[in-house]
Amino acid sequence: MEIIEGGYPTVDADGISERRVGPIMLTDLVRYAGAGGDFNPMHHDDGFARAAGYPGVFAMGLLTAGLLSGYVEDAIGRERLRRFSVRYTDQVWVGDVLVMAGQRCPSTAHGEDCFDLEVRRNRSDGAVVLTGRVVAAGVATAPRSGRN
Amino acid sequence: MFDESLVGYTAPPFTVPVERGKVVELARALGLQDRIHLDVDVARDEGRDDVVAPPTFSTVMSFWRPELDDDPIRYDVRRAVAGGAEWEYLGEIVAGDVLTVTMQVTSVEHKVGRRGPMTLLTREFSFVNQRDDLVLRLSTTSIELGDGGN
Repeated sequence: MEIIEGGYPTVDADGISERRVGPIMLTDLVRYAGAGGDFNPMHHDDGFARAAGYPGVFAMGLLTAGLLSGYVEDAIGRERLRRFSVRYTDQVWVGDVLVMAGQRCPSTAHGEDCFDLEVRRNRSDGAVVLTGRVVAAGVATAPRSGRN
Repeated sequence: MFDESLVGYTAPPFTVPVERGKVVELARALGLQDRIHLDVDVARDEGRDDVVAPPTFSTVMSFWRPELDDDPIRYDVRRAVAGGAEWEYLGEIVAGDVLTVTMQVTSVEHKVGRRGPMTLLTREFSFVNQRDDLVLRLSTTSIELGDGGN
């Protein structure tokens, strides 16, 4: 799993430029299980997942959310994050590449910047696997100059 | 099965030591690029005592949550799916911190969705550091598919 495209996302009046991350492999799931502490067999044991009616193992929602948090940090800046929310809408399967994007939404009453977030999987169905939102303090509309 | 009687349930507080190794391990597992999560020298150059926890670090609390003999929140992992989460960042979490975590069940809802009947359980967590600062609030929604057989 790596950032395939959009390593340095830029922010403009419309939103955040796309990033592609993947493909998500079984090793990435196992690694995240150890790091995050989610040992639900649904995410590493194919036989268990099939017995539960799924075609195979799928990624933890928090893995997708965590990958998205990296995109948001790189676009907006970690220190500006105030609220970050996610809703899982479909599964991420082994082999999927994730496409992340952000659309600007109206600023909050406190003048904070707001972006609606979306993660799609690059299968033929292009299904949205996660929708989310980030609220951030004082985001400049100019692209960030390099990484920190 | 989640039922309405869970609303208002408050779990016993527990503490989570924020370990440098777990901060770095999570940052690597997520491929995070901001070196402040990965490199103590970078973190110190930026005025921190140690590496800074990633935005979804709260998950690491699962290693520290005590197993309760009488835990009222029980579900079948084969029918459980994650619904969503919301983090509210009120302060920074840095390796070396010690967080006290409290959790309360705030709602249990029954719905019918694309995959049939389901029950949604929402929990709110608060994370207070060793200086008594509330640094993070987290709300999570867990879904149990099916009618639970009752």
